[in-house]
Parts: sequence; structure tokens; C-alpha cells
Amino acid sequence: MAASARKHASQSCVIPGGFSVLRLKFSADSAAHHQLFVKEHRVRSEKSAKRPLDRTLFVLNIPPYCSKDTVKSMFSKFGTIQSVELTEKPGTSEAAEPKLSECFAPSTKQSQGFSVGYIVFKNSSSVSAAKSHPHDEPLIASTEKRPVKMGINKWIQQYTEMLVPTEKLQKAVDSFMNEYDKRKEKEAEQQRKDEMEQQEDEEGWVKVTKGKRGTKVRPHSERANERTLQKEDKKRKRKELMNFYTWQHRNTQKEHIAELRKKFEEDKQRIALLRAQRKFKPY
Amino acid sequence: MKRKNVQTSAELDNEVEEEEKKRKAKRPSSEDGVVRPLELSRGELYKAPTLEELSRLKEAESLFHCSLLKMQMEELLKEVALSERRKRLADSFVQRVTELLHAVPETPVTEVSDLSWLSVVRVPFLLVPNTTKGKFHMKPPASVSLVGSYPLGTCIKPHVSVDLMVTIPASVLHPMDAINQRYPRKRALYLAGLTEHLLTSPAVGKVQYSCLHGNRLRPILLVTPPGKDAGSLTLRIHPCPPPDFLKPSRFHPQKNNVRTDWFTGLEASQPGDSRYEPATPQYNCSVVGDHLPQAHLQYLTAFSEQCPAFKDGVALLKVWLRQRELDQGTGCFGGFLASMLLAHLLSTHKVNRSMTAYQLLRNSLHFLASTDLTENGITLARNPDSKPSMADFHSMFPVVFVDHSGHLNLCAEMTAFTYKRIQHEALLSVKVWDDPTVDGFQALLMTPKPLIRTYDHVFQLCELGKLQLSCKKLGLMSELMDHSGNYVLAALPFILSLLQRGLGQRVQLLAHSLPLSPEWPVDQDPPKHMNQPPLSFGLLLQPEHATSVLERGPPADSPKAAEFRELWGPLSELRRFQDGGITEAVLWSATSTCQKRLVPQQIITHLLQLHASVPASSVRYVGGQLDSVINLGQELCSTGEEESLRVIQNYDDLSRKLWQLEDLPLSITSVQGAHPALRYTQVIPPVPVRVDYACFIKEKPSHALLPQEDKPCPVYICPIKVICHLEGSGKWPHDHLAIRHVKAAFHIRLGELLHAEHRYTCRPSATHLDVWKDGLVFRIELAYHREPLVLRELISPEGLQQQRDNAEARALELEIQHKPLLTSTLHGLQQQQPCFGTVCRLAKRWLAAQLFSADLSEEAADLLVASLFLQPAPFTSPCSPQVGFLRFLHLLSTFDWKNSPLVVNLNNQLSAAEYTEIKNNFVSTRQSLPVMFIATPTDRKLSMWTQESPSVQMLQRMVMVASESLRVLEAQLMDLKQLQDVRVVFRPPLDVYDVLIHLKIQQVPLVSYAVDRPKKFLRQGTNRGPVADPGGFLPVIDYNPVSKYLKELRDSFGDIALFFYDVYGGKVITVLWKPQAFEPQPFKTSLMNARCVKVTDENVCTVPNVDAILQDFCILGEGLVQNVEPRTKTWTV
Repeated sequence: MAASARKHASQSCVIPGGFSVLRLKFSADSAAHHQLFVKEHRVRSEKSAKRPLDRTLFVLNIPPYCSKDTVKSMFSKFGTIQSVELTEKPGTSEAAEPKLSECFAPSTKQSQGFSVGYIVFKNSSSVSAAKSHPHDEPLIASTEKRPVKMGINKWIQQYTEMLVPTEKLQKAVDSFMNEYDKRKEKEAEQQRKDEMEQQEDEEGWVKVTKGKRGTKVRPHSERANERTLQKEDKKRKRKELMNFYTWQHRNTQKEHIAELRKKFEEDKQRIALLRAQRKFKPY
Repeated sequence: MKRKNVQTSAELDNEVEEEEKKRKAKRPSSEDGVVRPLELSRGELYKAPTLEELSRLKEAESLFHCSLLKMQMEELLKEVALSERRKRLADSFVQRVTELLHAVPETPVTEVSDLSWLSVVRVPFLLVPNTTKGKFHMKPPASVSLVGSYPLGTCIKPHVSVDLMVTIPASVLHPMDAINQRYPRKRALYLAGLTEHLLTSPAVGKVQYSCLHGNRLRPILLVTPPGKDAGSLTLRIHPCPPPDFLKPSRFHPQKNNVRTDWFTGLEASQPGDSRYEPATPQYNCSVVGDHLPQAHLQYLTAFSEQCPAFKDGVALLKVWLRQRELDQGTGCFGGFLASMLLAHLLSTHKVNRSMTAYQLLRNSLHFLASTDLTENGITLARNPDSKPSMADFHSMFPVVFVDHSGHLNLCAEMTAFTYKRIQHEALLSVKVWDDPTVDGFQALLMTPKPLIRTYDHVFQLCELGKLQLSCKKLGLMSELMDHSGNYVLAALPFILSLLQRGLGQRVQLLAHSLPLSPEWPVDQDPPKHMNQPPLSFGLLLQPEHATSVLERGPPADSPKAAEFRELWGPLSELRRFQDGGITEAVLWSATSTCQKRLVPQQIITHLLQLHASVPASSVRYVGGQLDSVINLGQELCSTGEEESLRVIQNYDDLSRKLWQLEDLPLSITSVQGAHPALRYTQVIPPVPVRVDYACFIKEKPSHALLPQEDKPCPVYICPIKVICHLEGSGKWPHDHLAIRHVKAAFHIRLGELLHAEHRYTCRPSATHLDVWKDGLVFRIELAYHREPLVLRELISPEGLQQQRDNAEARALELEIQHKPLLTSTLHGLQQQQPCFGTVCRLAKRWLAAQLFSADLSEEAADLLVASLFLQPAPFTSPCSPQVGFLRFLHLLSTFDWKNSPLVVNLNNQLSAAEYTEIKNNFVSTRQSLPVMFIATPTDRKLSMWTQESPSVQMLQRMVMVASESLRVLEAQLMDLKQLQDVRVVFRPPLDVYDVLIHLKIQQVPLVSYAVDRPKKFLRQGTNRGPVADPGGFLPVIDYNPVSKYLKELRDSFGDIALFFYDVYGGKVITVLWKPQAFEPQPFKTSLMNARCVKVTDENVCTVPNVDAILQDFCILGEGLVQNVEPRTKTWTV
């Protein structure tokens, strides 16, 4: 890398695989730098509206101190940015979960480590601008205009944000529960309708639809199935006669000896093992 | 010895290898040292059994718990038996030495006191008093023969010693030599003569003097073979008189054979009349004992020939004794006594001749446990007339076991306390044996029980010279004469009984170490008594009484009052008690629990000072040395028990108030603690604080305080987690998100109620409710018992309702179900075992200090400690933090984690069958189970507390560090000469790590509790003084910059490095690079974090960008990191 960088001074550095290497410094006076690997986003199978193929820049190795906003401000010099998405691993964007208010968002999922970014520009030219950014001109994360808070400052800020006023929490709960109730009501109504349809009408006709079969009143469960199986087993066992015929008796005795033998062999193995580990030296 | 071991081990390994080869041909298992379930073919299992096999299987089933124990015993016996090679070596060496001894040159007759004929060697005898009458000359021995364990075949490894008896020719001795140590002195001279001759020969290696069981009257010579065999055996040469040379009747225990006027050098009132002289039983015994070795050997050989398992039985008994440190030193229960005991059992038909070694051991232990030789002695003699009666023996000796001649008490030197200790051990062992849940073999024969790990408190008498004064003060002139001036042995029984009287109910057992026989070079005088190593004593405490500060005596007017006053001296005072009694009493000064634990120390130093004039400076009490590590660093000397108790009282109060709340829509069905502080095991129990508002920013809307950037980190307030279960109801939604929202609504409502009724400041959040109560913060989490079920529920496309386990449900179940259960169970254990919590805290402090806290969860550590209390075999449950901690280290370092599960039988819920079930299950699924497997009654198959960690590597390191810590700590506690700083084992070795991140101590919230505390006091936003009333601003809760920093580090660089930190106030984070991360990797989009590329021609490979990573360490921890110290020596990129 160093060699190629020296050769094409003030040129972009492209490594095999099609990635360009950009340098990233935390602040202007930092000595060491990270390497960002950027490339236009190109995945055949994915046809996501969120990541249009021609305008999306795929960025690897974004350091933990770069938030969405920081990335946005760093890359906006290549062109106007439409959206920035940071994920832990490259891959398809996750299916949208039901939107939760911030006090209920699970805090454990937020990873604070390195991330992968998908930057969607307004214009496709910005992607190539970013790719051809000269290698020896590092991007800078924390500038005087936009300082990035780290360490103690950041944690105090986090602590402050964590203190949610009770009213806000209550509001979040109320709005969610209202929605939930509405949804449930709708579902219940739907179910009632389905049931209605399955009932005989006055003349004794039942409407048969293509709809799912699982619209019974109670969804049957795996556990209930198991329970019935067990019950049948028990019934069968109770009917059996034990040690009644001579051959049965002989068999049990045989089983007993086999059991003892097996145990004996197992113990022998254990002993051999312990001996190999010199576990019998008392001192 | 060591070299020899290596050789034998090599031999053994060969054997094993061969066997392995055979086995491999059969099935390729047990290579990696893990027991796997066995697969036997059907034909093999069901073939018709032979008669022999049937009987073998039956025997194993009926005699032993399983055939395993039988095989284990056999293996053990093989391990300790002497190899043929060593026997040959011994035989040839004995022969050479015998020839040499027969060639001893004669010397002219001289006075006994004239030692000029000896040129190099010194006489192995303390010549006090100096005068001896009689003539002496050297002459070749009348006979040389083997005696003792070697010819009997009961000699076992290690320390193989072969006893050689050299009979002094009758012409050297005189019939009147019995009195005034003339015979022992001549014996010593004869030994010196032999030594001088042996030294001239190249056929012998190292030659040293010693004495038999520490008896200075019976010096012996230790000779080792020359060259490379020096370690493999020791020849012990005992000079003896011709059999029946001196009449045994002279040595009746009540007769005197050492005259006072000779011993003291003063003229007695009636010289020469032995009737008025004090009896000298010890002296008599040692002289008689010299006459009998040959006879004893013959006697025992007869039994050994009758009973085929005799030799093995003795060998097992010897191993048992040796593990308990009972087989060596003065007054020991050695191998010879063990064989005599078996002979007694055989002759009285208490055991059968056809019994196996295992049964012999079991029966002898049973006999020892049930027979009190201090009260009812036993004798091997047949016709008791013309011999001293048992009563005579009992009047002179504390422990009586008379040999077959009827004249010798084999237990002459044993103190009653040693016998009590043997009895205690035997009783314990029999109990262990009867318990099917314990691995009896391991507990009885394989676990060493050194004094420091066995007894709750230990103390040492250091300057033994001081005991000379004690003898004078206690008036022990005649005992001193009997012990031929050995004041340590003379004073020992009296000191012991004095202490026993003083300690009374506080101790179960008072034990003492057996003074070891000194060994010294032949060209030096024997060591003086005062130069012996210190005598150690062990106390086994009675938890109910040991910490009582009051010693209540008899009523003032009773006759016993004088006795009480005499015992306690000036400390005894008349006191009036609440029940109206006016009695003598002693009150010891102790307020906190840790001081109360040391009341026995006060008693011992006081009594020794008062009655035996042993100054407190020469009593070294080992019992509270570790307290300083868990001291909470306040003015009051406390190790946190009081603080834990206060937290729990506060919690009880809160829980009562929660129960009384009425206006909640659903009622509370249970309130359970789920925090280590609520089971007494929090290393630093939360202390109520009074917050200094000036150090914080006040945030009005949420009524809370905020930390300030430029101030030091505020005091760490640990939220104490409490789980409240709400009753089930049809109203609960059947959707996990909705449940969470409903819970949040309950948190809000609960907070409102608590504030309205009790004025507590509360802060509800989505997951919990923080309650600021009396200077503590409780974090209440509401729980709904069906929530894990809802989380697991899944509807399949066919509409089938399924239960699928997932991580989220498991984690929730752990929080709301298992943690509270464990907390309440261990809280119960603490009520039975008062020092359980303190041991846990020591153990966890050690784990954290050695940087293991991220690898072993608190619950797992608590369970490890609990197992010490629930299954202490072969020990008793620890009653002091120190011994508990030592055993914790021992458990951690010796447990076979690979092949056995650690079963912690909480509440005694598991039966023997269930134990076996757990073990079988463990064996069959070993591969998929965690490395460290801990089973409890509620968790038999998963070991939920050790699921994630430790990893194999970390466990290995833990084991290593634990065994090293144990070694260092035990050496420190037992040896005065070592550096006396227990904190050494709490300081981790830093040289193995690649990078050190030093932190600013102002920002480390727990720094004032660190192992090595900072000298200056840090203001952490608290005021002294009583805790404020309820209400006020909510303090800064659970704000710990270091843990946030650690989380960020692990999130960012977890796949490149490991981070270690002492969570209890560590000042440094240590970093270890993962070696596999540093190998160049091909470019992969999924594996590029914190790496940089290296292009060589067409190949692109990536390596970690170390400079940037090191800089990131600083950037992420801005304001917290002092500096990052890379240790470039240990790693390269």
C-alpha cells in the first residue's frame, strides 16, 4: 500500500478488489489514521429503494467515534447527501420493526463498535468523487466547527439523555397502547367475521373458502400434541405385563448383567483416563 | 526422590501407552482426556457371563458404591507400592551397610564422658546434665537385622525408609545402665562410633543424624545410597540392646529411673530412695521400646501371613494418615501403630481374615471413631499378670495402647488432643463414606489436609525458648526430667489443657502440629530445643459460640467461682445480668463482626501470658490477616458484614412497604431480591450516602442530579435490584412489546404511589423504577411470569403454536426467575453459615483483582463458594473467612472440570439417584456443555451461570493463578520468615499483557476501595453525617465511566484483543492481543474492522492498524485515560 501511495502522490489509492482507500483522522492533530474502504454499492440481488445502486457509496471500517452525523458532515464535501445508514455488518437492511419510542428502544442492540456505512448521495457523480479522493488528504472527523464529544463528556451526555421525564414516558406508553388496542380490536373483528363465515347459515350451508386453515377458535399447540401422545404411551404401558412369562424374567436378568457390565467397562475407561493423568498419586 | 518419581512415571506412562494402544484398536476414544459414553456391541453386552465375572460384578455392586471405587483403590495401591527395582536397590544397599557395620573396629575402654576417641563426628545427644558414670568402648555389633515396615511389606512411597537394627554387644552395656540416661547415652556413643566408621566408606551417600519420632533419647542415623539413587530410599540405623538385656519390670510406668539429684545437680532430701522420686513413664517407655523391635516384627509378620490383605490395609491406612499429617513427628500415629491397630482388630476378631483392604480400612476407621483410647485403652498382651495393669498405664499416659509384651505403651508420646484429632478425622471419614453423593475416594485418600486449610484459625508459638519459663511457672520439674529436658514436650500437654479450658465451647477441636524430628549433620551438635520450628495449633470453631464476647462464669457464691477467677485472673469481674443472676464474667472488647471473630485470639494470648508467661509477641495468630482486603476503609474496623446487614434491613423495610401498597391495578405476588448485596455476597456492599448537592448539576424537570465534567467522578451508587412479580390476569396482553409497555405504566404508577405514601424520590423508566431510600438506591423491576413464554411463542405457517427457545427469553428468565431464586437460597445459606458471605466476598475480590471478573459471573463464584459449605468433605464447613478462601483457591485449582460436574446441592434437594443422573447426563453430553459445569437442583443440565464464560484458556489461567496464589498465601500464613503482605496475591502479574491503559484515578469511582488504596482522600460528592430524610434530588445512579469505556472497547476491538480490568477500583486496563487476529488475512468485507491493507503485487492482505487502535484507546476514553503504555517488547506486527 505504501509503495503504491508514494507512486501516485495526491492520487486516489485503489486496491485490488475495487475498493479505494481513504484516510481518516479523528482530529487535525492526530498522528495515526484509520483506513476507510469505499466502493459503489453493487449487489445484484438487492433491489432496495433505500439503497439505489448508482448513487450509494459503500464504506467499510468506520471507526466507533463516527456517528451518522459525523459521517454525513465528512462526506458532504463530495456532494449533497440524501441519507446515511450505519450497520454492524454488510448485508441487506433489516426489516423495519414496529417503530418504538426512544425510551423503549432496546439499548443493548446499539453497537458502539466499528460499522459499515451506506451513503446515498443526491447525484451519482458524488460517488465517483469520493472514490477518487486523493489518498494523502485525510478526512477529519472532529473539527472545530463540529467537535465530536468523546469519553467523559459523551458518557455524561448519555446519562443526561437517559433521564426521561415521567410525562414523556407516560405519553409513549399511552400512544403505543392505544394503537395496540386498536390493532387487537381489528384482529378480533376479523376473526369474528371469519367465524361467522364458517357457521352454517339458516339453510344449513357452509361457505368454504380458500383462506387459511388456522382460523379455528383456538390455535392448537405443539405442547397439547405432545401431551396426548404421552397419555397414549402411558395407557399402553399400563396394559403390558411385566416379568410374567419366563422369557421376560430371563430378559430382565440379562439386562441387569448387561447394565453392570456396561458400568464396569465405563469405570474401567474412566480409571485408565485418570491413570493417564496421574490422578492416583496421593501426594 | 524426585528423580526416581520421574523414572517411575516414565515406566508407568509406557504401560499406559501400551494399554492405550490396545484400547485404540478397540475404539478411538479417551484421547483428549474426556470420558465419553461407551458403545459396546450387543454381542459383548449380552454374552453369557462366566461364574468368575458374575462374582466380580456382584462383589463390586454389593461392597462398593460402584466398581469405580474398587478400581480406584487398586490403582492407588499400585501407585504407592514399592517397585521391584527399588526393592532390589534397598536389599543390596542394606547388605553393603550390614557388612560395613560388622567391620566396625574395636576401641579401648574409656570413660563415657571421654569423647576424645571420636575424631570427626559429634555425639547425637544433648548432654545435659553433663556427668555420666560408666565405661564405654566400641565393638562390632552382635547382630544387624532388618526391622519395621520394610521386611513386613507395608513400606510405601514416598519417603521410603528401611529400618536397620544394630544390636549393641552385651559387653558394652552394664545392667545398671537403665538409670540416669546411661543407656541412652551409651547408645548415642555407639551410634557415633558406627557413623565414624561408615563415613570412611565410599559405599554410603549422605549421612545425617535424626531421632526416632523426635525423641532425643533415641537418636538414629539416616544413610542414603551414594550417587543417583540417593533420593530413592533412606536407611535408618537404630542401635538396640540385646533382647531382654534389661529387665522390663524395671520400666513399670510408675517407676523412676532418672534421679532428681542427678538431673538437677542438687542434693535431694533422701538420696537414692527411688520410692520418693517422681515416676518417669516417658523415659521408661523409650528404653523399653528399644528392646522390642524384633519382637514386634515377629508379632506382626504372623498376622500379615494370616490375613492376605493386611499389607494393603496398612498401606491404605498409612495414606489416610499421611494426608492428615498424622504420620510424622512426636506423638504421631505412624505406620507402625497402624499395623499394630490392625493386628489388634484381627486378634479381637473385629475384622475378618478374609476381608479386603478396603474393608480393613473402613473397619479400622470405624474402630478409631468409636473407641476412646484416652478412657479405655486397649492391650495386645495375653496374660496380664506380672505386668503393669491398664490402670497403671492410664494413670501415667493420656492415650493407652499396650503392645503384646505388656510393658510398652505404643501411644506413650501421643497427647490426648492428638488422639481426639484422630478420632475426629476418623468419624468424619466414616460419615463421608456413608454419603453416596460424595466421592469418598477423593475425599478420604487423595485430598491432603494441611493444618492451615483444615482449621478455622491457626496460631503459632514462635520463640519456643520462652517455654522454659512456662515450665518453671507451671511447676513441671518432674515432667521436664521425664522428657529429659525437652521443655517443649513437657509443657505442651499443660498448655493444651489450659487453652481447652479457656476456649471451652468456642471450639469443636483443638489440634496441634506434631513437632517434627530434627535432622542434622553428623559433624554438628544436635540442635537445641529452642531452635525448633514454631509449634502450630489449629482451632476448629463452633460457629454459635466462637464469636461471643461474653464469658459467663458461675454465680459469685458458688465454689466454682474461685476456679473461674483463677483461670481468668484480673479480667474476671462480677456482673449482674438481665435475668437477675450475679455471676463472674469476662467481657472481651469487640464491636464489629471481624473483631468478634478474633475473640479466641484475645483469650489465647491472655491465658498464655497469665499462666504460662508466654508474651503476646511470641504468639502469632493467623485468623484475620485477610480482613484488610475486604475492609471498607472507614474509621470503624469492619469487613462489611454490618453494611450488608443494613442493606438487607432496608430492603426488608421496602419490601414490607411494597406489600402494603393497595392502589395498584394488579397486586404484587412476590418481592424478591436479585442482587448480590441481598445475599451478603457483594464485595463492596452499598453504603448509605449523603449527597453533596454542590458537586452536581441539578436538573429540575426530572428532579435528578447530573455529574459534572470537570469534577472528579461522583461516588458510585450501586442500584440494588429487586424483582416484583405481578399477579397474572386475563388483562395482560399476549404480545411482548405490549407487555413491556404495560410494565412501564406500572413502573410509573408504582413510583407515584411510593412517592405519595412514603415521600421517596422515584424515577420510573421503561425497564425499571429507581427508588432513593435512606441513602440507598433500589431498582425495582416488575415482572410478569408469562413473559418468557410469550417471547418463546411462535406460530408456524400451519397455525401450530410452538415453543422455541431464544436468547432473549433465556436472559429474561434468568433475570426474573433464576437470579431471585438463587439470591433467596444463598441468603438462607448465610443464615446457617455465618461466614458464607464473607468468603464469597473474599473470593470475588480475588477473582476481580486477578482480572477474572469478566470471565466468571458473580453467581458462578457464589455457587463455587456455596459448594465449599454444602459439601466440605473431607473438611468441615469453614467457620472463618480465611480458611474458606484458602479452600476456594484449592477447589478452583484442583477440581477436574473436564471430567466431572460440580454439583451444588442447595437446600439438600438432590438425592443420590439424582446425583448419578446429573453425572450420567454430564458424561453423555460433555462436548456441548460449558467448560466449567456447575449443576444445582434447579439447573441440572445446562449450568446456566457458566454458559458464556469462562473459555478454556481463561479457565486454565484461572486454575494456574489460583494454585500459585494458594501456594504463596499458605506459605505466608504459616511461615513467619516470608514477606507478610497478603495483598501480594491480590495484585495481578502485569507482565503478560501487551498494552496497559492507565486510568486517571479521579475518574475511577471505586478507587477508594481498591486493593492498594490511594493515599489521599478523594472527595466524591458526598458529605459525612447521617443520611438525609426521604425525598430530595435523585443522586447519580449507576454511573461508572470505566465500565462504559470497557463496553466501548470490547464492542470496537473485541475480535482483536481481550480487555481485563479489576472492577473494584482498578487503576489500569490490561489488553491482550488475540494472536489469530494478527495473522495477515485476505481482504474480506466482513472482516475489515480496525484493519489496514498491505498490498504486495497482486495480493492484498490485512493486518490490524495498531497505531490507530492505540490512538482510539485514547480517543474513546477521553478524560478517563491517563496514558496508554504499549509494551512493544512482547508483541510485534
